[in-house]
Amino acid sequence: MLTKRQNLMETIKGGNPDRFVNQYEFMELIMEAPMDLPLAPGPGMTIKNKWGITFSWPEGQIGSFPVQDDEHKVVKDVTKWKEVVKAPSVYYTDEEWAAAVAHASSVDRTDKFVTAFCAPGIFEMTHHLMGMEDALMNLYEEPEAMQELIDYVVEYELAYAKQVIEHIHPDALFHHDDWGSQISTLISPAMFEEFILPAYKKVYGFWKENGVQLIVHHSDSYAATFVPFMIEMGIDIWQGAMTTNNIPELIKKYGGKISFMGDIDSGVVDHPAWSREEIAKYVAIACRRCGKLYFIPNLSQGLNIASFPGVYETTSEEIDKMSKEMF
Amino acid sequence: MTKIEEVKAKVEAGKAKLVPGLVQEALDEGNAVGDILQAMIASMGVVGDKFSVGEIFVPEMLMAAKAMSKGVAVLKPLLAGTSTASFGTCVIGTVQGDLHDIGKNLVAMMIESAGFKIVDLGVDVSTEKFINAIKENENVTLVACSGLLTTTMSAMKETVQTLKTSGLTGFKVIVGGAPVTQAMADEIGADGFAPDAGSAVVKAKELVNA
Repeated sequence: MLTKRQNLMETIKGGNPDRFVNQYEFMELIMEAPMDLPLAPGPGMTIKNKWGITFSWPEGQIGSFPVQDDEHKVVKDVTKWKEVVKAPSVYYTDEEWAAAVAHASSVDRTDKFVTAFCAPGIFEMTHHLMGMEDALMNLYEEPEAMQELIDYVVEYELAYAKQVIEHIHPDALFHHDDWGSQISTLISPAMFEEFILPAYKKVYGFWKENGVQLIVHHSDSYAATFVPFMIEMGIDIWQGAMTTNNIPELIKKYGGKISFMGDIDSGVVDHPAWSREEIAKYVAIACRRCGKLYFIPNLSQGLNIASFPGVYETTSEEIDKMSKEMF
Repeated sequence: MTKIEEVKAKVEAGKAKLVPGLVQEALDEGNAVGDILQAMIASMGVVGDKFSVGEIFVPEMLMAAKAMSKGVAVLKPLLAGTSTASFGTCVIGTVQGDLHDIGKNLVAMMIESAGFKIVDLGVDVSTEKFINAIKENENVTLVACSGLLTTTMSAMKETVQTLKTSGLTGFKVIVGGAPVTQAMADEIGADGFAPDAGSAVVKAKELVNA
């Protein structure tokens, strides 16, 4: 039996996996790493993060949202972003790194990839700072200022990457940046190529030059038209690939250059009235139509969790059943 | 190309800085205010259609809406006293418990561009707020409810059903958002559903004209 790591490599290289890669099993996420994760920590809470962005998690809901009314948004005039945007320090004490270092050291790297986690992404940071409408219109109206801001975020990401690499020597990176809604990308391929592609070529290039073997990028959205750019920027696995992307078609077209992790939309199976039967149905559909290579069956959620208790684990069990049936 | 055609083309292209000057030139040439307005409304129709088929994206739609709003600002003093809201008033909001506003804002912009007066209640809107807005505003012909979270679909259902049983009349209810489908809209008793902002404006006009 192959190790999780070997099985992953066989899957994404077009070799001979002996089962489906089961969701996030190949990644040992080092979430103890000190980071400026911007989200509100729990329901009913509102926080202001180190970038000055306010996040709120409404009671009874499943996630945290940036608050971007005129009172709260950080960048009100992008031409003056330098006056209001100040990246937090990437330097943390050894004490702050200790838990992450211990976790990374405990991992059997022949079995799993020690995985660094980065969120939010570069595009997300622009709209967290100024709101989505302003961020998108500024790409047209103030492209130079937006480019400068993106460059600034890239410099921050590179500086943080250097610290992570020095401390935990990750084998893989799991990086978030949502680029679309479920039916479309938020910006055109041409705009993406101009602003976002060069930024990620730098960031992902740096991680890979420094020992990271695997780049896993999360965007739980439609983004099929960006796949050529994903390949160019060095993404090995696109996690969160939703069914709206026609993943079997993408596998046919791009398999071998990139792999797809998803095809089980969280919104469809991860809800208060979830059931094993429903999960089994969608897992089976995904496994059968996407096949054994260049594909990892997975909920589209951007971490190894689900919104409702039991959904992630049940999905894993159903994937194991499909492995028994298909391998 | 006539000046009005030029206005139309520049609104479609989202040239917010050029449109006000062109609208003024169109007026100076003696074009009727209503004709210029209709041309801009027509361009937003084209923008909506292009968005629905994936030919343009959110930034292009936002820029076109901005261009139109700059153009309308030039016409506004001349429209004083006459209502531009030929379809009546649309009350719009994201349902309770949900803070997503991008889709809702896009729909509001497109519906306003088509000739509705918009009353935007924002996000996390309670059923009571929707009801009060219908009572407090004149000629409410449409109520638009948005929601992106699967967990807020129950709030959407409650909102729609309360609106429908409130005894208030004269308006239709349209729903939308990522988890919403036509089947769900039918099930909760909404009058209409649209999968994106471009289709929403087509559906909104259809519902109000029905």
